[in-house]
Order: sequence, then C-alpha cells, then structure tokens
Amino acid sequence: MNWKNVLYLLRVERKSGRLIRGIKATRYRENGFLAYWPYWVALIIGVLGGLIANAIVSSVYSDQAIGNLPFLTNGTLSVFVILPTVMLVFSFVFTLLQQIQLAGIKATGQVMYWLPVTWQEQTLASILSNLLGLPIAFVIGVGSGAIVFGAFNGLILQSLLTFAALIGAAFLASITTEILRLIQMRFIGAVYKSSGRAAIWVRLIGSLFFFVIIYVLYFYVIYGSGAVTLFTTLSNFQTTVWYVPFVWVALVVSYVFSGLFLQAALFTLLSALFIATLYHVAVFLNMRFGLYEPPAITLQKSGVYAPKAGLLGKLGFSTAEAAIIRKDSRAFTRRREMISIFIVPIIMIILPLMQSFGQTGRLGAGQGAGGIIFEAIIFLLPAGFTALLLGEVMIGEEGQSIWRIYASPISPKSLVKAKTSFLTLFSTVILLISGIIGIIVYQPPVEVSIAAFLGGFFMLLAVGIVGLTIGLKGPDFSQTRRARMVRQEWSLIGLVVGGAVGLFVLAPLIVTLGLSLFTGGAINTSNLAIGLAISIAISLAISIVFYRINLGIATDFLRKAQI
Amino acid sequence: MSSPYAVDLRGVTKRYNEIVAVNNMNLNIYKGEIFALLGPNGSGKSTTLKMLMGLVQPTNGEISVLGLDVVKEPVAVKEQVGYVPESPTIYEFLTGIEYLDFIADIYGVPTAEKQQRITEYLKALQLEGREGDMINSYSDGMKKKISLISAFLHKPKLLIFDEPLNALDPRSARIVKDLLHELKAQGVTTILSTHVLEIAEALCDRIAIMYQGNILALGTMEELRGRASMPNSGLEDIFLKLTGTGDLRAVVEELLR
Repeated sequence: MNWKNVLYLLRVERKSGRLIRGIKATRYRENGFLAYWPYWVALIIGVLGGLIANAIVSSVYSDQAIGNLPFLTNGTLSVFVILPTVMLVFSFVFTLLQQIQLAGIKATGQVMYWLPVTWQEQTLASILSNLLGLPIAFVIGVGSGAIVFGAFNGLILQSLLTFAALIGAAFLASITTEILRLIQMRFIGAVYKSSGRAAIWVRLIGSLFFFVIIYVLYFYVIYGSGAVTLFTTLSNFQTTVWYVPFVWVALVVSYVFSGLFLQAALFTLLSALFIATLYHVAVFLNMRFGLYEPPAITLQKSGVYAPKAGLLGKLGFSTAEAAIIRKDSRAFTRRREMISIFIVPIIMIILPLMQSFGQTGRLGAGQGAGGIIFEAIIFLLPAGFTALLLGEVMIGEEGQSIWRIYASPISPKSLVKAKTSFLTLFSTVILLISGIIGIIVYQPPVEVSIAAFLGGFFMLLAVGIVGLTIGLKGPDFSQTRRARMVRQEWSLIGLVVGGAVGLFVLAPLIVTLGLSLFTGGAINTSNLAIGLAISIAISLAISIVFYRINLGIATDFLRKAQI
Repeated sequence: MSSPYAVDLRGVTKRYNEIVAVNNMNLNIYKGEIFALLGPNGSGKSTTLKMLMGLVQPTNGEISVLGLDVVKEPVAVKEQVGYVPESPTIYEFLTGIEYLDFIADIYGVPTAEKQQRITEYLKALQLEGREGDMINSYSDGMKKKISLISAFLHKPKLLIFDEPLNALDPRSARIVKDLLHELKAQGVTTILSTHVLEIAEALCDRIAIMYQGNILALGTMEELRGRASMPNSGLEDIFLKLTGTGDLRAVVEELLR
C-alpha cells in the first residue's frame, strides 16, 4: 500500500469538488485554511459546545468535585458509549445519500482506474472520500466537544477513546456504503438487461423503497423517542445485540468504561478483523465490478418512428414548451441524482409521522394543537419543499447540456412557462399524495382538508415560482460527481425567501385555525373560507409579480449565455 | 436588395479579463459557401463560432447572421441555424429518438416531416437498432451522429459546426461531407472549424487561418498558397508557416531527450 497514492487520490477528489463550482479557473489560487472551512467550523462548534457544557455543569455543581458526582460521570460515559453507534447510523445514511446523488456522468469517476495505483489504494481512497465533508465534520465536532468536556471533568482518556471509536464507526459506515455501491452497480446491470423499459421504474421505485426503509429506521432511532429514552434504549440495545458486528466498536468503549478489559480487548480485535474483512470484500468487488459498464436501457423497440400527439399540446402549450416539459419529466424519473428530489418529500412525510407516533403511540392523532401541527406539516411541507427545491434546480439541472437551451430558438416566455408548469404539476402530485396520507392518518374535518389542499396548492405555486427566481439567478451547471444545480449562496437565500413566502401565503389560514384552536372552539367554516380567500389572493399576487420577474431574468439569462 | 452575406462580423472583439480571445475581427461569409476556420488550440475559433450563435457575447463589434442582429434577435437567428459544438453534451437520460423528437419540437418541425426526416437520418448514419437506447450507452461517435442529425432536422439556412467530423467513422464522415455539398447547392451556408486540414482543403470554398484571436490569412486554397509564397504546398505546410510553427524539429528533439 502506497499511502502517498491514497493521499493524492483523496486530494484530487476533494479539490475537484471545490474548484469547479462557480470559480473562474484562470489563475485560481486556493486558500488552504478556507478550503477546509467545514472542519474548522466543526472544531470551533465542538470546542465551544464542550466549554459551554462544562460551564453549565460547573455553575450547577460549583461546590463539588467531579469525583463526588457519580451520576454525572455515569451520564457522560453513557452518552460517550452510544456516540459511535449514532455516528455509524449518521455516516451510513449520509454516505448512501451521497452515492445516490452522484451524477450519471462516467468520465470523472473512471480516471482513477487508469492511473498506476493498486486496487487496494484506489478502494481505500474511495472509502475515505465518501467520508469527506459532513461525516468528518461530525466526527471532529462531536469528538472535540467530548474531549474538551472530558478534559475539564477528569474523563480525558475516556473522551479520547470515544473519539477514536467515532473515527472507527465512520470508517465502518463508509466501507459498507462502498460495498453496497459496488454490488448495486452489478445489480443495476442485471436489472437493465432483463427488464428493458421497466428498468427505469424498477430503479426509481427500488431506490425510493430502499431510502424509505433507511429513513424509517434512521428516524426511529434518532427521533422516534426522546433524547433521554434514545440514550438509555440505544445503550441497552448495543449490549443486547453484541453479535451484530456494527456495534462492536461501541461495545469496546462500553467495556473499557466498565473496567472489563478482557472483553474490550476481544471486541477490539473483532472490530479490527471485521473492518479488515469488509475492506478486502470492497477491494474484491472493486476489482470485479469497479469498471463494470451496465448494458444500455432499451426504451423503444427498433422500427419505424411514429411521433405521438401529446396531451400537453391540447392544454395550450406550444410544441417547444411541451418538449421541455416532457424532457424534464423524463429527467426526474431517469437521472439517478434526481432521486434526491423524491426523497425530500418522503422524509417530510416520515419525519412528522415518526414524531407523531413517538408522542402518541397510535394512529389518528389528529386531536389538539400537536395533532393539527403534524397534520399541517404532512399536508404542506412535502409539497412546499418540493416546489421550492424544484424551482431552485429546474435551470441548473440542465447541466452542461444547457448549451442546447441557449442554442435553441426558445423564448424566455416559453422557458419560464415550461419550467413553472412542470414544477407546479410535480409538486401538486406530491401535495395530493401527502394530503391523502395526512387525511388517512389524522382524519381531519372535511373543511380543514379542503382548505389544506387549496392553501397547499396556492402556497406551492408561489413558493415554486420564487424558487425558480432563485434557480434562474444562481444556477450551477457544473457536473462534478455530485451536481448541486444551484449555487450554495442562492440555495440559502432561496430557503429564507421561500420559507417567508410560504408563511406569508399561509398566514391567514394559520391565524384562522390558530384562533379556533387556542380559544377551544370549533373551526368556523366561514372564517376558514375568508382566511383561505386571503391566502389565495396573497399567493396570486406573489406568483404574478415573481413570474414577471422571472421573465425578465430569463431574458437576461438567455441573452447573456456564457458557455 | 438583400445582403450576399450569410455572416457579417464588424470589428468584433471578445475579451476574457485580460485575455483577448478574438481581436477586432472583420469577416464576411457568403451565402451558400462552405467556410473553414483553422488555427491552433486557443486561437479563437470556437469563441468566434459561439459568438455567431449568441452563446458568447462580443465585448465590442457587431455580428449579423442571415441579415439579423444576433444580440437583438437571438431567437430569430437560432431558428435558422443548426449548431454542433466541439464536444456536445446532450441529454443522456433520453433515448436517441427522444432527443431528436425533442429537438424537432423545439424547432417546430411538423409531425409528418419530423417522422420522415428522423427515420431517414437514423438510417443514413446507421443508428437504426440503437435509437431506442438511452444516450448514456452510446459511443462518442454515436453521440456525434445524433448531434449532427439534430442540426440538420429543421432544414437550417446556416450550419455552424465545431470539429464536425471528430469521432465519426469513415462512412458517416463521407455522408456528412456529401450532405454538406448537396446543401451548399441548395444555398445552405456552412461554417466549420477543424484541426483536420485535409477536410478543410477538400471541403471548403474559403479558409481563414486564425492565430491568437486574429485572422492571419483568408481566401481559397490558391489564394492561401500565394499568400504564403508556397505555390505547390498543401494546407498543412501553409498553416505551419503562417502560424509560425513551421520549425518543429527542435521541439521533437527536446521531447525525445
């Protein structure tokens, strides 16, 4: 193993992500300190967090030494014990998400395979590169917080051990993701070959199904119970399932803290063996399938081409507008990196459901303020977020193919109309799905359901159009391994502005429902109707204004094409 | 009286910060002409072609394409132009036929004509049998063929091609060359940039040699030979002499050291 090669490959991976986005490439010099800002920020937050936690503990128990506070020591150690497993779950979900967001382009990913590096070096670099970004920042933040707190409270050795275990857990998660990635490559090839046109749907639905399961488990662990319950449950859970190799790293920490050094040594050895085995499996799979090219997906049989008259034309769209809408709808079902758009509303549905069940432990929890809030979240957030996200990425998703739009006789009006129509249609489907789930689970009154559907539709319309403004102002056409499609600063602006617009549109409805709820009276239908009418009026006003703004920006965007 | 020029550039300059990609270019290209832009890498050929399409805005100067101002009437210009960039990135999640369908719709090609033309082009360029596959499984040559077909589909009056024959197999390259000749007879103008000097020599009526953003020489092959004082030479020798890169022996010897 040539570690320098691993380091070089890692550097290239990291730099390629940083350099390309929105930066003029000529005479570019990178500031070494600023380039790693997420890690510095995580370190600062971790250290501050540790200091604040220590300050709180010191002020509460100012007159006592830590040795006299066994419950504090035990509490801290029980948190330390579960941190590796929490890190494992977080890293696993995050690295899997990263994998699914990888762009479908092959070029950058294959360069490594041409270089004179061994499979072992290449695989290790790939595993480590999965961790770059949030997982490492999380390890640094949590680990430094634990060390600072431990240093002030006589737990320095324990915190250092926890930090090492955090690194081990993150690495374990990343190897697992690497193995799944490589198996998935071969599996996808088999699906393509055997299922033809159905491969598109098998891939889409299979990916979504996979993520739904992962997220249900993730939210069950993280949010399904309160923090205290989580700690005690997870701590006990780890010991009970000692035979699952993924918790062995955490068990090492647990046994050391309990003074069971023989068991700790045994599980250290087992953890090392497990990690080594997984790594060799990953290397083997990389050799077998790393460069595997899935066969082509055949969507139409050969023969005479017969164009179909589209429904969109009958709805008043020009042929160019209809062509853009059709193209975008295919992009969202066929491009792997677009699946994350589907995942967002799924999370938005699962999260409140898990929270709701965690609080009430049963279905039909639609009573009281909590129930109404969960209903509102299920009804409005998935579609609202989808509209905002779609609006933001509708232009950037063109990627390097944007030249095709620039070079085509597409007017700004057609572009804005097609993109707005697609995102509204797509988000409306999400609204219908999430709304139906909301009705089934929470069984709200009919008038509330109607108001939620209508309010939701007009909210997503306004938010989507505002999202498109962001997408037109800050598109990111770079096609690195993970396409962002909108520049980060504009994405943040979009989140703030889109959130404000959504709240503004829904404010009359929130006030109407809130008044009924907190005064303890029944929902007044006429008040609800008035609130809804005002919401619709606000939405239409915002939509018209921003649609016109979008036309102006699109004119400029198409005229000042710079490729 | 309508202008005899398909393309008219007057004092066109394009700067990228301190780098001058195209320097005060004046160029007229006649209707029905096949015109080549030659030059070493970074000489400004692609930038010039992109400016003709409105994909890059000139820093100074005026560009008229088919009598229309590219900056003021971009949509009207694009309706009449077929364009293929050097490395066309096309929507890889579509099948070949879906992509061509998309392009035909964007240009408003009537349904019956669309069906006929797509079928004919697919057959001519031997893409039959693969037209239903997603483009991400195509080779570079197949992607190039799809891009070329998309430029011909709407029967444009002007074709702008950046390295049009790159990655094409000899049969397809020959078909494209013959097609360009036929279209020329119908009054279609073609502007192409290429590094393959044989193509420019065999295919083009006039050739412009660019170097560092300037046109060093412009004319027919005979006129270029005269300009370089190399009466019996091929385009490669003329090109190397005019661009000052003629003496390459020292470079090769240095590399072999």
